[in-house]
Amino acid sequence: MTAGSSLAESADQREIVLRFEDGVEKRITVNGGEYVLDAALRQDIPLVHQCRSGSCSTCVAQLVEGELRMDPARAYSLIPAEVAQGKRLLCSAYALADSVIHFDYPSDLLDEPGPELFVAKVEEAEMISDTVVRLVLRTPRGIDFSFQSGQYIRVNVPGIDQWRSYSMASLPRDLPKLEFLVRIIPGGAMSEYLTGRCEAGDELEVEGPLGAFILRDSAAPHIFVAGGTGLAPMISMLDTIRRRPGVNPPMLLSFGCASDSQFFYRDEVELRAAWMPQLRLRLSADRVEDPESGLLQANPVAVLEPGDVTDPETVAYLCGPPRMIEAARERLAALGVRPEHIYAEQFVAS
Amino acid sequence: MGVAARKVSAKAVSPHREYEPYLEAKWGLKNHWYPAAFSHEVPDKLVKGIMIAGHEIALRRGKGGKVYALADRCAHRGVLMSKKSMPLTDEHLTCWYHGYTYGLEDGILKTILASPDDAQIGKVRIRTYPTHEKNGMVWVFVGDEDYKPVPPLTSDLPMRIPKDYDPNPVAYILDDNTFVRGIHRTGDSNWRLAVENGFDPGHILIHYDNQLIAATDRKLALGWQPNAPEAVELMDLPEGPKGIMNRYDPHLKLYNYINENAVTGMKVYGKQEYYTRTSMWVPGVLLVEHWPVTNWAQYEFYVPVDDTHHEYWEIIVGHCNSEEERKEAEFKYTNFFEPLCLYQFNNCDLFAREAMQDFYEKMDGWNQEQLCKLDAVVVGWRKLAARFNRGIQEPPPRFSHNG
Repeated sequence: MTAGSSLAESADQREIVLRFEDGVEKRITVNGGEYVLDAALRQDIPLVHQCRSGSCSTCVAQLVEGELRMDPARAYSLIPAEVAQGKRLLCSAYALADSVIHFDYPSDLLDEPGPELFVAKVEEAEMISDTVVRLVLRTPRGIDFSFQSGQYIRVNVPGIDQWRSYSMASLPRDLPKLEFLVRIIPGGAMSEYLTGRCEAGDELEVEGPLGAFILRDSAAPHIFVAGGTGLAPMISMLDTIRRRPGVNPPMLLSFGCASDSQFFYRDEVELRAAWMPQLRLRLSADRVEDPESGLLQANPVAVLEPGDVTDPETVAYLCGPPRMIEAARERLAALGVRPEHIYAEQFVAS
Repeated sequence: MGVAARKVSAKAVSPHREYEPYLEAKWGLKNHWYPAAFSHEVPDKLVKGIMIAGHEIALRRGKGGKVYALADRCAHRGVLMSKKSMPLTDEHLTCWYHGYTYGLEDGILKTILASPDDAQIGKVRIRTYPTHEKNGMVWVFVGDEDYKPVPPLTSDLPMRIPKDYDPNPVAYILDDNTFVRGIHRTGDSNWRLAVENGFDPGHILIHYDNQLIAATDRKLALGWQPNAPEAVELMDLPEGPKGIMNRYDPHLKLYNYINENAVTGMKVYGKQEYYTRTSMWVPGVLLVEHWPVTNWAQYEFYVPVDDTHHEYWEIIVGHCNSEEERKEAEFKYTNFFEPLCLYQFNNCDLFAREAMQDFYEKMDGWNQEQLCKLDAVVVGWRKLAARFNRGIQEPPPRFSHNG
């Protein structure tokens, strides 16, 4: 079967088992010609998703058995190697057989309130390096909005009506303030807004919370790998861990930027290491011009060492550009981290 | 006002942020051992109620003399069980109101006096706290109920002073053959102000005209000014206590003993050189070696009660190897240490902390204070507490609305 039309026209109803990280299973039926995500939503199972067009990868799931075929009529963001590993984007996948799929998030994430649409106000925007803006928004009074460390929101760029996604660097307890790290890209829509027209009090349309990249409960060692503004959810997670009951796990944060002059938030990560004796830092930049900087000339994946993974239960959180995520997955798996203990959020610069 | 993101000059991290978790610790540090009562305050038939870091705790001596600590509020109608003792057996805590009766060991509801077949029995439970009793003091581990493993009490006490720190080390509060006596009273200030006063090398000015100093002709100085980074030593003992010590040791010469002030003509009158040394330990325990007199030690605990009160514990500790020595120690304690030192001398400290309270509670003192060279030690303590606490105590639910 190759043609998209024949897939969409197939009339057979299939049964799909949805298996979540916490072991909970749910069952749905998918009609012929129906995307799996649409079927789940129709049956009141709000699987984590966002764009519904095959681009954002938020609805990614792992095929365990059966057959799910990506819609060949759509351009989607999985690379062939990922499809070969059984990854599927459910917003664009048809069921060709009864199947079992696995989600790397717990089922109780589905019980969380869904994303809200609201208008937030700009409170602060400051350039903390040549390429990064720290943006603080304030949520309006009276909305029912919260989130978990690691999640993100979408922001509509004023005047342009394009959406951009940013992970919260702040904590739910900091609400109504929301803090973000935004990478400035010449010509980028949000970048031009933030460095040009942005005014305190500006109203931005926001949707959130989104994403299944959330901090899990685990006493095992934690490895955080962050590239550039991928640091934002890590800051939120570290601050959550510090305030969580119980003994802090051993933690390693490997954080890298493109160059030492672009390195940002060093004081912020060093503060967290000062507050938590369990946290070790490995700070790097691809290009180090000032040898006095104390940064490793490398990327945040290359600096991971065999000694960093001594516990088979080690969990890893990755946030950065897709290439970094892939490299980190491979490296960590080679060092002995179980693939199902690696959680990732990738972002695309825009 | 526009905020279009402009490059801001690299600003130094505010010094406050280096100890931000400490500033959050209005209600104390959790998952630490705190003194809860003297042994004689928990007699067999009494339910003794205390509050530590917002936790309402009932102490009750049970089978074999062991002291148990349980949540003081009865699960039934929420009264404090310690308001009226009802000692029926040495295995149970019975509420005086409707007779809910909990097991001392596990906090589980074992019976209800007039409803012995009730469906609630075996299901309802109140939480328990680990305890330890030694040398006339009862300690409770206060914090998250599921905090595991519970660290040893020694990790929350000053270190045992080793010989290389002092050829003549003072006694250790948990050792056998040790004299341990003292008092505790409630201070009207946040616990952190009490800690910071306790070993602030600039605070001794408040003792300038104290009777103990005048009577013993001690040269206590107007203040001790640190002159090198080594003046303050960080004690980070693996698996052990975390502390910070003022190295007042005379041979190290790490402090300038400021005995007079030229601008005002003020000077100290005492002639007798006197050596003492102070150290502060997480979660807020002061050790003053060779105080009130040489070879003795004074321990002080500044136990958070709520956000505006602390329980001030002053304990005299000394070596005591025979009945004769104990009698002599009792005599000294009763007629000298307690009245003249714990009350008369340390009243000045209580006065000073309470005088700080309004500023720090109501006038943004943590951000408005203007510290000087004398305060390096205080800042050192704040960082230590920010780093080595086992958690910041959240306000109890009944207070959380006003944080």
